[in-house]
Amino acid sequence: MEELNCKIMFTIPVGDGLPIYESVVVTWIVMAVLVLLSIILVRNLKVENPGKKQLALEAGYLFFRNFFYNLLGEHGARYIPYMITIVLYIGLANIMGVFGFVPPTKDMGVTIALALMSIILIEYSGIHQKGTKGWLKSFAEPIPIMLPINILEIGIRPLSLCMRLFGNVLGSYVVMKLVEIICPILLPVPFNLYFDFFDGFIQAYVFVFLTSLFISEAVE
Amino acid sequence: MSSLIAIGAAVAVFTGIGAGIGIGLATGKAAESIARQPEAESKIRSTLLLGCALAEATAIYGFVIGLLIIILLG
Repeated sequence: MEELNCKIMFTIPVGDGLPIYESVVVTWIVMAVLVLLSIILVRNLKVENPGKKQLALEAGYLFFRNFFYNLLGEHGARYIPYMITIVLYIGLANIMGVFGFVPPTKDMGVTIALALMSIILIEYSGIHQKGTKGWLKSFAEPIPIMLPINILEIGIRPLSLCMRLFGNVLGSYVVMKLVEIICPILLPVPFNLYFDFFDGFIQAYVFVFLTSLFISEAVE
Repeated sequence: MSSLIAIGAAVAVFTGIGAGIGIGLATGKAAESIARQPEAESKIRSTLLLGCALAEATAIYGFVIGLLIIILLG
């Protein structure tokens, strides 16, 4: 049961002491990896005679861009860089279990923050596209009876996004721990492949898919 | 008291029934449509994965609720 709580790695001696949780430290590692990769990969980009590295980078970027463009549509295209950042972060965070770290998405605080960012972006995109008046009016669509349901959705959408990610990662973490208790060598490998890679990527995909679906609905 | 808490957590896990039925239906329909139109397999597969992830969410909610019952009350 102690494994379920997020451990405190160290405390910054400010005031009463500022606890730094394990998820924050692993998030720093994810950030460092992503920043280093983005510095290394974008060096020496050329217009003429692009190297293999640049071609792979462009293919990867275009894959993500086309995927989100199909979902978000023309009006939502300005949110594509944000969505790619989120999918890279969640994807990398979910497979952190493979490298011996605790995945930061196992901490409910991380998923709550991600879901709050998503709902703020969704409502902002609606305000940006339709203006404040049009945004307020969109709550009474398609018929005014839907008003309470539409208001409830503001709370339900981030709650379901947050709980889905948290529950999936926590569930796979618990199963992995149980498997490791039964047999610590060789047996966890197929489970690791399924729970960390497959499930982690699927959850990152579902998170950004739903967020972009809601954004495209808001900017319509 | 602790046995009551365990029963409560077990009841929360009944949400798994819905997820199981949903994923089973979705997979059955996907297999049917692949048999009918094998060329649309990649599209069907991605839709199926998304549908399964969404249907699975109800089971995950049950798991989270069960865990919360045990942690907060137990």
